Amino acid sequence: MASLKRSLDSDPFSANISSKVYVRSTKSGKVQKIVREVYLRQDIPCSSRLCQTCIKTAPRDAAGRPTTFVLSEAPAGTSVFPQGHYLVPDTNAFLTAMDLFEQSAAFYDVIVLQVVLEEVRNRSLPLYNRLIGLTKSEDKRFYVFFNEFRLETHVARQEGESVNDRNDRAVRKAVAWYGQHLARTKAKTVPAVVMLSNDRDNLRKAKQEGISACSLAEYVKQLRDGDRLLDMIPESGDQGIVKEKRPGEPLYPEYFTMSKMMTGVKNGLLHQGIFNVSPYNYLEGSIRVPAFPKPLLILGRENINRAIDGDLVVVEVLPKDQWKEPSTQVIEEDTITKNENPDAEETADLVSEKERKALQEEVKRTHNKTTEGHAQPTAKVVGVVKRNWRQYVGHIDQSSVSQSTQQGRKQDTVFVIPMDKKIPKIRLRTRQVAELVGKRILVAIDAWDRGSRHPIGHFVRCLGELETKAAETEALLLEYDVQYRPFPKTVLDCLPKEGHDWRVPENMDDPGWRDREDLRGLLICSIDPIGCQDIDDALHSRPLPNGNIEVGVHIADVSHFVKPNNAMDTEASIRGTTVYMVDKRIDMLPMLLGTDLCSLKPYVERYAFSVLWEMTTDADIVNVRFTKSVIKSREAFSYEQAQLRVDDQSQQDELTKSIRTLLALSRKLKQKRLDAGALSLSSPEVKVQMESETSDPIDVKTKELLDTMSLVEEFMLLANVSVARKIYEAFPQTAILRRHGAPPKTNFDELANQLRVKRGLNLSVESSRALADSLDACVDPKEPFFNTLARIMATRCMMAAEYFCSGTQAYPEFRHYGLASEIYTHFTSPIRRYADLVAHRQLAAAIGYEAVHPSVRSRGKLEAVCKNINVRHRNAQLAGRASIAYYVGQALRGKAAEEDGFVLKIFSNGFVVLVPRFGIEALIRLRDLGDPEPAAEYDAETYTLKTSGSRELTVELFQKVRVKVTDQKDEATGKRGVKMELLSVY
Amino acid sequence: MPLDTSTYNLALLRVDGRRWNELRRVHAQIRTQAAADGSSYLEMGHTKVMCVVTGPSEPGPRRGTGGGGAGGGGAAAGAGAKAEVVVSIVIAGFSSVDRKRHGRGDKRTLELQSTVANALAASLHTHLFPHSQVNISLHVLSQDGSLLAALINAATLACVDAGIPMTDYVAACTAGSTSTYAANDEGADPLLDLNHQEEQELPGLTVATLGESDRVVVLVCESRVQVSRLEGMLAVGVDGCKQVREILDRVVREKGRRMVQEGTVEKGIGLNEMDVD
Repeated sequence: MASLKRSLDSDPFSANISSKVYVRSTKSGKVQKIVREVYLRQDIPCSSRLCQTCIKTAPRDAAGRPTTFVLSEAPAGTSVFPQGHYLVPDTNAFLTAMDLFEQSAAFYDVIVLQVVLEEVRNRSLPLYNRLIGLTKSEDKRFYVFFNEFRLETHVARQEGESVNDRNDRAVRKAVAWYGQHLARTKAKTVPAVVMLSNDRDNLRKAKQEGISACSLAEYVKQLRDGDRLLDMIPESGDQGIVKEKRPGEPLYPEYFTMSKMMTGVKNGLLHQGIFNVSPYNYLEGSIRVPAFPKPLLILGRENINRAIDGDLVVVEVLPKDQWKEPSTQVIEEDTITKNENPDAEETADLVSEKERKALQEEVKRTHNKTTEGHAQPTAKVVGVVKRNWRQYVGHIDQSSVSQSTQQGRKQDTVFVIPMDKKIPKIRLRTRQVAELVGKRILVAIDAWDRGSRHPIGHFVRCLGELETKAAETEALLLEYDVQYRPFPKTVLDCLPKEGHDWRVPENMDDPGWRDREDLRGLLICSIDPIGCQDIDDALHSRPLPNGNIEVGVHIADVSHFVKPNNAMDTEASIRGTTVYMVDKRIDMLPMLLGTDLCSLKPYVERYAFSVLWEMTTDADIVNVRFTKSVIKSREAFSYEQAQLRVDDQSQQDELTKSIRTLLALSRKLKQKRLDAGALSLSSPEVKVQMESETSDPIDVKTKELLDTMSLVEEFMLLANVSVARKIYEAFPQTAILRRHGAPPKTNFDELANQLRVKRGLNLSVESSRALADSLDACVDPKEPFFNTLARIMATRCMMAAEYFCSGTQAYPEFRHYGLASEIYTHFTSPIRRYADLVAHRQLAAAIGYEAVHPSVRSRGKLEAVCKNINVRHRNAQLAGRASIAYYVGQALRGKAAEEDGFVLKIFSNGFVVLVPRFGIEALIRLRDLGDPEPAAEYDAETYTLKTSGSRELTVELFQKVRVKVTDQKDEATGKRGVKMELLSVY
Repeated sequence: MPLDTSTYNLALLRVDGRRWNELRRVHAQIRTQAAADGSSYLEMGHTKVMCVVTGPSEPGPRRGTGGGGAGGGGAAAGAGAKAEVVVSIVIAGFSSVDRKRHGRGDKRTLELQSTVANALAASLHTHLFPHSQVNISLHVLSQDGSLLAALINAATLACVDAGIPMTDYVAACTAGSTSTYAANDEGADPLLDLNHQEEQELPGLTVATLGESDRVVVLVCESRVQVSRLEGMLAVGVDGCKQVREILDRVVREKGRRMVQEGTVEKGIGLNEMDVD
C-alpha cells in the first residue's frame, strides 16, 4: 500500500529547504500560526569587490543584467581597523542612530542584514523607509545581505531561545561568515568585518566567538571627526527609564461625565473655554477663561488629553507649583514624531521618549530661574463639551507608507498630515494608499479613543495632485469653509428676468422710481483698485451757494434686488461675504448683480442709496440726509488714474476739481480722526503679479499707499458712522453695528516689555489715543521700517472687530477702538458683505422708504446672522492671506531671493524672521544655521540668542538680518514651504 | 513579520529566497489510493492537493446543478456522444491560515471546478467513452498560492493513473511580475510560481499548456497588470509549464518502472521506450 508520508528525506534538495514558523496575533485577538517556506541557497553574493568567487554566480535579472557589487575594495579604516572595514550594524544601532548612518562624513560600506532589516521594519516604518533609501543611494555603499536565505548563515531558532537572542545569533553568524569568506579572497589587505551593537550581552558573545565588534560610541570615537558625531548618539542609559505601560491599558485619562463637568463649572472648580494650540509648539495649548486674566496653559500630550484646536473643553487648573512659563521653544510635530509607526499602536507609550525630552528641557529651564512673576497658570483637560471637528485638508505622510501597500490593495494605516499645523496627525485606514500618495485629500476625524495616540479618521475626497493650482485653491476654500459651489437654480431664479438688459425705467412713474431722488445730473465718479468689477461706492462733491460743500457717497442699492428671505437672500446670508483669492473671487451674490446690475458702472444709470452731507470747508458736518436715488457715474477711476488726474494741474474740469475738494476734505477728516485717537495699524500686505495669460505668479509687490485710497476710505468711514447713528436711533434694540473691543492690557505686556528692553521705548496702552501716540514715538532713526514693525506687532495684540446687534451690548461697549469712534457699522459694500445689506434694509426702514421687514427687527435672527458673518469674515480674511502666501511661494519657486528681514520672535532653539518685501515670515531653527547644530544660549530677559559652535551669532529681537528666501519641498513630509536661510546679521 | 515583495530589487531575491525564474519544490506521487481508478498527491511548495479519479463509468443519478460538468457533448451531457468530466473540489477547513468553512456552493470553488474540468476535457479523449462520466475529486489539504495550477497538475496525474486516454499532460503553473500595477514599473521582472504572499501583493496569472507544445489550454488572469508586462509573464509561465511537465513525466515514469520491477504489470509493448532497466 502506497503511503502519503512526506518524502522529504529522499528529496535531494531537502537540505536547502527550511521553513519559517511564526505566530502573529491579529487586531481582533486571534492568534495565527504562519508557516513560510525558505529556500536556502549558496549563490547570494557577498557583494564585495574584492571577492572573485561570488562574481561568477552573481544573480541576473530577467533581462540578463547582473547585479553590481556594492562594497568597496578599499574601504575606509579607523584607528582600530587600519586595514579598512565593513560595518554590520544590528537592529538597535539603526533604530537609535539612523541620523548617524545618513552622515556624509562616515559610515560607508555598510552591510545591512536581512534579519536587521526585518526588525527595523517591524519597529518603525519611517526608519525602514529611510534605510531603504540609504541602500538605494549609490555613494553610501549600503548592501542588503539576505543572510536568512544563504545556506551557511541561516540560523534556526533553538529550543527555549528568545527571538531576540536568535536574531543576535544570526547577526553574529553572518559577521563570522563574512570574515571567513573575505579571508579566502586573495586580496593583500582583507578588510575587517565589524559588528555594531549597543547590546552588552551581544558584544560579550561576539568577543567570545572572536568576532570584531564594538558599541556605537566606541566605534565613533575611532573615527577621525568622532567627537563631532558623538553628540548624535543617543544616551543608551535612557532605555531603562521608559515607563512600563501594560498593553491594553488606555493611554489617555478618562473624561469626566457631563454632569460632573457641569457642576464643576458652576461651582467654579472647573473652567470652560475654547481650546487653542500654539502655532509654534504642538504640545502647548491655551484656553481663555473668565476667571483668569491670562490664558491658562495646557502643556503636554497627557494634559491636552485628546482636545483638538477649536474644541469647547472643560479644564481643571493644576496646583500652583506646577505653573509654568509659556514655552520658548519651537516643537514641531513633524520632527518629533516622524519615526512613529501608524500600525504599532499597542506597544506605543503615550508620551514618547523624544516628547518627554523636549518637555523636560522646558521644565529644567523654568526650575533654574525663580521667575515667579512670569509663571502662568496651567491646566489639564478633563472633558470635551463640544467637538468642533470639521473636515480637514491634508496629505499622506509618505514615510508612514509601507512599500507593499503602495502596491497591493490591502487595507493599510497611514498618517495624514493636516494643512493646519495646529491639528495633530490623523490616522487613516485606507485601501487606496497608492492612489492617494502625493494628493491633496480631505479627511474627517471619526474618533479619538483613549487607547490611541492619534485621532482616527476616514478619507472623504481627493482634491487632486499636490501643488496644482486647482487642488491648492480648493484646499484653501475647504480649509476656511468657504462656500464655493455654483449658485443653485432657486437662487438664480430670484434675479431680474431681463438679465443684462435690465435698465433703470425711463418712465419716472414706474414703481422703481417711487421715493427716489433723481441725482443723474451730479458729477459722480468711482475710485477703486485696478480691475475692480463690483463697484460698491461712488462719490461726488459740489459747492453750495452758502459757501458750504455738499458731499455725497452713493452706495449700490443691493437691497432693491435682494429681497429679504428669498432664496438669494438666504444664500447670501450663509456666504456672508465675498472671498478674494489671488486668482479667484468667490462671490456672495450672483455675477449678474455683483458685476453688472448693482455695480455702479460708469456712463449708465443705476439705483443707489445715497448719503448726502452738507459740510463746512473745515469738514464739519452741518447736516446729513439719506435717500434712495438714481445716479449716473461719469467715470470709474483706478486709484492710480485718480491720483494722476488730481496731481496734474492742467486738468481743470469740474470732475477733477470736485475730486480735489474731496481730497482736501478727507485730509481734514483724517486729522480729526487721528486727534480723537484712531490707530494707524499695519499688517504686511503684498500683491502678487500674475502673468496675464497663464495666470502664473511672476512677481510680488508690496502695496503702495496713495492719497486717493485714503480719500475713499475717509468718506466710507464717515458714511458708516453716519448710518450707524441713524439706524441706532431708529432701532435701539436691533441695529446691526460693528464694534472693536479695547484689548486687555495684558495683551500688550510682552510687546511693551520687548520695546522697553530692546529699544528703551515706552508703550502706553491706557487708551487708543495713548497707544497711537506711543506707537508714533516708536521710531528708530537708523531703521525706517522699525515703526511699521512695531505697528505690525501691536496689531497682533488687538482683539478682532465684530458685528453685533445693538440690543446685546450696553452703549459704551459699542465703541470701535481702532477707529476711535463711538459707534460704527458697515454700510458701504453691500455687494460683498451681508452685514451692509442688512444695514441698508434698516436704513431704508429708518427713513420711511419701506416697511420694516420682520427679519431685520428680530433680535434672535440678527444675532444668528452676526455670529455667522463674524466667522465668515474672519475665514475670508484668512483664506485670502493663505492664498497670497501660496502664490508668493509659487512666485519664489526655483528662485532664490536675498532680502532684508526682521526678527519678530525668538525661541530658545530658533527665531522667526519677517520679510516685508514678500510679507512672509518663517522660522529659522538652530539646526538650519549650521551642521552640526550650533549650541545656543537664550536669554529671555534681553531676548537674545547667542549661538556657539559651528556658527557664532548673536540674534536679538527686532534685529535686521539678511536672509536668503527659497521655496523648498520637504522630501520627508511632501510639504512645500518658504524656507529662509540666514546670511548675516546687520 | 518577514519582509514583503518590494524588497525583490535589493538583491533579486523573492520573499522565500527564490530567484525570479525558479519553481518551488514540486513533489508528486501517483497511485496513492489503491482502491481508486486513479489517484495522485501533489505538493507545490506548501500547496498540497490530493486527487482521486473514478471512471469512465456509467453516470450516476443527476446531482443538482453539477457545477463542474464539462463534457464535450452538449445539453444532456451524460447521454451525449462524449464522456462528461465532472470535477468536485473540497477545500479543507484547515488548509489556510484562518480556519474557514468552504460551502459546496462557494462561487470560487465552482469556478475552479469548471476551469479544471474544461482544461482536462480538452486533453482527455472523451469521445471514446460515450454515455459515461469521469469523476475527478480534488481535496485541498494546504494552500500557499498557485492553487489552480496545483489542482490541474494533480488531476492530470490522476487521469494518467486511471489510464484514461489523453493527448498529453496538461501542465500548469503561475507567473507574476515583481512590481504592482500601480507602481507601473516597466523594468519589472517576471516571476515564476507565485506563493500566497506574492499572489496577494503582486499581479499574476495562471497558465496551463498541453504537453511540450506551446498550446495554451488555460489562461486565467484576475489582477490588473499593464499589457506591456503580460507578454513577459506569459513567456515565463509557459516555460514553467514545460518544467512542470518534465517533473510530472518523471513521476509517472518512475512509478511505471517501479511497478514493472515489482511485477505489478507486465513489461508490455507500449512500454518499450521506457528506460526500465
